[in-house]
Amino acid sequence: MSTAGGRVAGNDRLAHWVFIATTVVLCGWVLVPIWLLISNTLSTASEVNSFPKPVVPSLNTENIQFFLTFHGAGNALWNSIQVAFATMIMAISVGAPAGYALSRFDFRGKNAFRVLVLMTRAFPLPLLALPMAILFIRVGLDDTVIGLAIVHTTLALPFAVLITFSLFSGIPIELEEAAWTLGCNRLQAFRKVILPLVLPGLAASAIFAFVISWNEVFAAAVLTIEHRTLPAFLLQSLDDAPLHLKFAGGTMLVLPALIFIFLVRKYLFAMWGIANR
Amino acid sequence: MKPFLKTTLAALFTAGLWSGSTSAQELLFWSKQAKPVEEAQAMRDKVLSGFEGDVDFQPNDSGPWLTRLQAETAAGSGKIAVLGALHGDFTTIADDLVDLSDIDLGDTAMNATFMALGMLGTDEQKYLPWMQATYVMAANKKALEHLPEGADVMALSYDQLIAWSKTMAEKTGSPKFGFPAGPKGLKHRFFQGYLYPSYTNSMVTKFASAEAETAWTVFKDLWAVTNPGSTGYSAMQEQLLSEEVWVAFDHTARLAGAFNERPDDFIAFPAPAGPTGRGFMPVVAGVAIPKTAPDMEGAKALVAYMTNPSTQIETLKATSFFPVVDVELPADMPPAVQTSGAAIAAMSGAADANPGLLPVGLGDLGGQFNQVYVDAFERIVLGGEDVRAVLDNQAEELRRIMNEANAPCWAPDAASEGPCPVE
Repeated sequence: MSTAGGRVAGNDRLAHWVFIATTVVLCGWVLVPIWLLISNTLSTASEVNSFPKPVVPSLNTENIQFFLTFHGAGNALWNSIQVAFATMIMAISVGAPAGYALSRFDFRGKNAFRVLVLMTRAFPLPLLALPMAILFIRVGLDDTVIGLAIVHTTLALPFAVLITFSLFSGIPIELEEAAWTLGCNRLQAFRKVILPLVLPGLAASAIFAFVISWNEVFAAAVLTIEHRTLPAFLLQSLDDAPLHLKFAGGTMLVLPALIFIFLVRKYLFAMWGIANR
Repeated sequence: MKPFLKTTLAALFTAGLWSGSTSAQELLFWSKQAKPVEEAQAMRDKVLSGFEGDVDFQPNDSGPWLTRLQAETAAGSGKIAVLGALHGDFTTIADDLVDLSDIDLGDTAMNATFMALGMLGTDEQKYLPWMQATYVMAANKKALEHLPEGADVMALSYDQLIAWSKTMAEKTGSPKFGFPAGPKGLKHRFFQGYLYPSYTNSMVTKFASAEAETAWTVFKDLWAVTNPGSTGYSAMQEQLLSEEVWVAFDHTARLAGAFNERPDDFIAFPAPAGPTGRGFMPVVAGVAIPKTAPDMEGAKALVAYMTNPSTQIETLKATSFFPVVDVELPADMPPAVQTSGAAIAAMSGAADANPGLLPVGLGDLGGQFNQVYVDAFERIVLGGEDVRAVLDNQAEELRRIMNEANAPCWAPDAASEGPCPVE
């Protein structure tokens, strides 16, 4: 016979287990592919192709060494970082004001603007790349970091605008008005009151821009030659590569992005309201 | 955290984001071939390091490869010095290439058939042959014990291949024949250069003939004992190494990984023969120079360098593509070269050899031409549609393409006046 109290306790225990199970599944979802990637990277070629695989890889560094000595990989990595940071800065410095305007002001064509911003994602890059490359060659932007960053900024802009729009909309206008009555002008009110509140969100949308730039291949392959980014440099070559090098190359591509996300995780968590300071 | 970000940002802006071409005069080798990381590495370290100037070897997917070239042509200035690609890639861009007939090849004896292909139907030498390959069969040695009685693996027929695959499927419990029918697999070359010549002695003219009907029926029988995962395969070396399949058909460069990694476990052997011979298709890659090349002198020197006998041997080691010039092969070749070299020699030297050339004169319709064969495969074999109806239907499309391109027949079809007829 179960009392009401017992039922509640049972529910609690059940909820507890569901919570743990969900956590395990979510962690596995993220960690298992990364584990497979890294353990295969550290295996010999014959181990990669064999089945079942040894639980602990043989810690073979041959595959890693191949890429460390791969001509131009370091240079490409540095280009990737530059392009990704430039994209991040441009996407936020253009996207955030647009998001602010959308949330605070009423103007003609506001809805049309919101749709139009999304439209930039409606055209596939392979279609746009040719006219864009011709233009870039003519104006001298071809094969520059900034040129590619401009293209990546257009790709990241819709997200930057829409994310910042909802960020600013979530902050009551009364806060700004209070600042005005206390002697701030518009800019000061924004800088001293609003900005600190949206900073974590801005960081998150900046990371989004970073990831978009980091993952883009086609434009990078067409628009850069000496300033080739890592994905453009490696991804095409990995396609037909043997399996063990595919894994090692995949690790090369994933690792820098992982490290970056790890460094800025504080800001990410802050956006989701989890204090981690 | 914050100082880290600040220093990075500062470094970024001082690093000169606008810097265009800063480094010294390098020749950009814009290639569609030798793309896999190991091959690209070998091209840079072994093949191009011997050239007197600096070469920046950049392999690309066909999309970026073509788009970049088109952009440079349209803009009227560019960075690409030398192009490397397959015969079929050059057919679409013949107008943008300079004439290479004034390049002095010295004593090098170039394959005459390939030189003629390099003119792309014009009276200029649009590209110089660079390297060649073909498609062969590969097998895990474990498969050999299941060979049908009396069958010689170096001279199989299609019926024997089917019987062999059937035995393997029955004995091992799963189909062990693999076919590169994935999105990036080279299946269309099998139909064009292997199945059709072997059964119809034709690639185009007898596309919808009664013989072709037989050919597709035979292929359906083969497909019934083929690993169903084949619709996802692209380079068969992968499935051979993982032993998902034991016997496979593919491009020599796409099998090389298996031969090189476990030379004692695999053999290469000629493609099977049908009633009209042992069909096979040689593949040729070339080097060319776009009209927008920044350093024409250097580019021409590089193109000439690529055809040197010693460069050709290094290229063979790097890419598993064979020389296009007369050259004595040294003994210390990688296993893939020795293994597939023997199979190629047996195939092209067989009494019933029936080579089918790459499509000639199709221009930018080459892709649509391939699609005819891929569609026929998908409708007949995967979709289970009626063979006769599909062939009649696809023949119309093929006829339209041949007429539009105004392309005369090529081997094994007999030469034609005007566009190659589809009967």
